[in-house]
Amino acid sequence: MLTLHPTTVRFDATPWPDVVRIAVERSTPRLVLDRADAGPHPTFADAPEVTTTITVTSDVPRGDPAAPIPGDRGLLAFVSAPAATSAARHHACTAVVTRVAYASSPRSGAVRTVELVALSSDGAADPISTTPAEHA
Amino acid sequence: MPSTFKGLSLFAGPHRFARAKRGRLVLPNLSLGNDVAGSVDLGAIEVDIVVTGRLVASSEAGLRALRDAMTGAIDDPPDADTPGELVDSADHAEPDMTFITYVEADRTDRGRDRSIAYVATFRRFLPAP
Repeated sequence: MLTLHPTTVRFDATPWPDVVRIAVERSTPRLVLDRADAGPHPTFADAPEVTTTITVTSDVPRGDPAAPIPGDRGLLAFVSAPAATSAARHHACTAVVTRVAYASSPRSGAVRTVELVALSSDGAADPISTTPAEHA
Repeated sequence: MPSTFKGLSLFAGPHRFARAKRGRLVLPNLSLGNDVAGSVDLGAIEVDIVVTGRLVASSEAGLRALRDAMTGAIDDPPDADTPGELVDSADHAEPDMTFITYVEADRTDRGRDRSIAYVATFRRFLPAP
């Protein structure tokens, strides 16, 4: 899921301003892929382990003294569309910061990228909860 | 054609058949207490067939039933020690096989399905001398 210009982004109750985009990506660190004796093609595939990674990219107009650091854990919450529209969705998850990086260019200015891994409450539940923004 | 052992479709999921080492059991004389060079041929190695596969079910209970069926085929009396026919997916039958070991992987995989990898070994014992 890719969200451009989300509103009201917060991490552990701290506002994260000027967020340009949030990417929620899912990958499997361990893929089960099995074949049978009948031929070369897999007959079974499953993803018994899934990692949900969130990348938050924001403009950094002035320094960044309160930047998160790897290991920080908190509730990441954001709205994926203008709250005045019916399509607005509130997303939330408990997440841990795994990387904080910066880049700058004459065209885009200074940009901060924070990578987080989302945590499930029990291992089975999806770590990202999504609700209509008006119910958030 | 489903693979079977004694007519039971135990292998519920992807699996592959392989033959283990074939040949003759040859031991050095020294290992038998004879202080001389050379070796002795003790006869043919027993035939082992190894089935490597994965039990797959849509629920925990379903997977438990498949695992119980596997272990039951080894443990359950009255015919656990009675050889039976092992048929692979190419419909090749090996007679007089005994299910001797069933080893599961270190974890149950819980993704879209519930599944667990296993290695099952079958042996055709040599006749008692």
